[in-house]
Amino acid sequence: MLSWWKRTPLAWLNLTHDRRKFATSMAGVGFAVLLMFLFTGFQNALYDSQVQLINRLNADIIIINRLKNNMFVPAAFARRRLYQAQALAGVQAAYPLYMSDVRWRNPVTRKTRPVRVLAFNLADPVLPLPGVTAHLEALKFPNTALIDTRARAEVGPREAGIQSELADRAIEIVGTFRLGTDFAAGNGNLIMSDQNFLRYFANRGPEEDERSFSTVDIGLVQVQPGVDVDEMVQALSAFLPNDVKVMRRLGPGNSFEAQERDYWRESTNIAFVFSLLTVMSFFVGIILVYQILYTDVADHWKEYATLKAMGYSNRFLLTVVMQEALILSVVGFIPGILVSRLLYTAASNAIGLVFLMTPARITHMYLAAFAMCLISGAIAVRKVQSTDPAEVFS
Amino acid sequence: MATSQSSGSSPVTPTTSAVQIQNLHYSFGSGDLTKQVLFDINLTLPRGQIVIMTGPSGSGKTTLLTLIGALRTVHAGSLQVLGQEVVGLSRRKLVSVRRNIGFIFQAHNLFESLTAAQNVEMAVELKGQFGTKRSQAVEILDKLGLSDRVDYKPGSLSGGQKQRVAIARALVNHPLLILADEPTAALDKKSGRDVVTLMQKLAKEENHTILMVTHDNRILDVADRIINLVDGRLESDENLDTFVSTHDPKSLDRRMFIM
Ligand SMILES: Nc1ncnc2c1ncn2[C@@H]1O[C@H](COP(=O)(O)OP(=O)(O)O)[C@@H](O)[C@H]1O
Ligand SMILES: [Mg+2]
Repeated sequence: MLSWWKRTPLAWLNLTHDRRKFATSMAGVGFAVLLMFLFTGFQNALYDSQVQLINRLNADIIIINRLKNNMFVPAAFARRRLYQAQALAGVQAAYPLYMSDVRWRNPVTRKTRPVRVLAFNLADPVLPLPGVTAHLEALKFPNTALIDTRARAEVGPREAGIQSELADRAIEIVGTFRLGTDFAAGNGNLIMSDQNFLRYFANRGPEEDERSFSTVDIGLVQVQPGVDVDEMVQALSAFLPNDVKVMRRLGPGNSFEAQERDYWRESTNIAFVFSLLTVMSFFVGIILVYQILYTDVADHWKEYATLKAMGYSNRFLLTVVMQEALILSVVGFIPGILVSRLLYTAASNAIGLVFLMTPARITHMYLAAFAMCLISGAIAVRKVQSTDPAEVFS
Repeated sequence: MATSQSSGSSPVTPTTSAVQIQNLHYSFGSGDLTKQVLFDINLTLPRGQIVIMTGPSGSGKTTLLTLIGALRTVHAGSLQVLGQEVVGLSRRKLVSVRRNIGFIFQAHNLFESLTAAQNVEMAVELKGQFGTKRSQAVEILDKLGLSDRVDYKPGSLSGGQKQRVAIARALVNHPLLILADEPTAALDKKSGRDVVTLMQKLAKEENHTILMVTHDNRILDVADRIINLVDGRLESDENLDTFVSTHDPKSLDRRMFIM
């Protein structure tokens, strides 16, 4: 049964002989792959989008209020915790990041929309995005901010030079950056200096929280080179009072990123719905591929029986069907992933969530497509197995 | 006339006979639905003999052919094919017996997706002769007059050409035994005749044994021997000499011309 490469490529020739049928088969498998990519894409986008900001923060370790178990919780913590942290051996620097949700007026429609303001000392490398570092000088002027080009269309034009209102005060957009929206960010993010933050949020009226530099939303800690981050997390946790939580910024286990992902995973049914849709697409794929393989076997019933009469074993025929399944998984996957890429880009542009196609996700998706074809093949193969070689004479 | 009358009256040893059948019975179904199709068949086919089997429809000809071809498991009697006892063999062992037999069917059963050469090569690959498969396929197709159709797919071949490709596929491994079930039924008069003449020529060259079922009186003359199966029993068994002496050769020839 070895040396398949020297044999007549029966599986390939049978599949491709009828060009139109082959194209249909390819499209069928590709469609199932596309559906799976789309549903897992939405599911991943929900999580990936929630951690976009966390992914860009320039820190090894994060300090937050113990109550802040996701980015929606507005709890801040005392800034002196950062000074305490900075005093500990092994800590290179500790920076405050201030955040607040506030009304932004769309300069075109004049409607107000909630946005999230991120603010920090311009001397601190808190968010070293290209757009941010390029506009540090402009941000020093009063009542200025940068706008995210990936903010939702509801905020109006996302470009430098826009003049509008933030919390009922005039503001000028002096530049743009590229980050992306998440659920806690409302319709998008603005970035400003901590000085401007005070201008907008120190006296917001009796209904709203007053903000000052004495409380911080997220503390960013950088460790000195050569210092183990996990050990530093332990040391800081032990050293700082219990009103704050210290964790790694990224990674599995006890990290700010993992906390955010887990919160969304555990508190919403969205993931379940999309998982269900993905599984359904998988089964639709199985049925499609089974149809294709079954038709091939049924159409070539006499020929397969003849091969058996000539002395080919059942195993040979099973291998031919499984080869067809494998070929279908590959030729269907390619158009499937190409169209998916286009749709990911389109969806990402339309709703501002991130649709990532990482190598690991592509690999998993191919494995799913492969399993899909393998299962169909295994069902269709039973048909070949039952081929009676004596039937060629009837 | 139920006696087995092979080319000699002396007992034939397994080494010289291609097929040796003793007291073979065969039934389809089981229990109340059992239907016996073959009754006490005794038949010996010596090597190199071309035997034509005739008989009314439903008399069991195809069934006998599938048994000799090791396509069904047999439990009663004795059936030796090319020196190998087939009765009681497992399905897996039956597969290896089949590899020494060339099958030709009423339908050509060629893969539409493969060229003539590739269809024939599928048979060569069974022997593991990958290096020479192309040259072997081309050689046999050439012998069957298809040298200019080697790389054509069945879709662009005529009925007679397709059947000749099927014959090439059956003969390419030089099987000692060829079993053919109405190979000319789907062909017109001329191509049917051509196909059988080619089979006869190749069989004689290589001392193949042929057992061919046919209703086609025009091709009886290629036979060394003609057996007749009626209701599952071997009714008559005549070698060509007997056949010629009981039928006026001239009338036989004339009959062939008329048809
Ligand atoms: N697979 C089968 N199952 C049950 N009965 C069968 C089967 N194949 C053939 N028969 C029966 O066996 C008898 C002999 O059939 P067959 O060998 O095909 O005859 P022939 O080839 O001489 O026309 C017929 O009565 C037919 O109905
Ligand atoms: Mg028949």
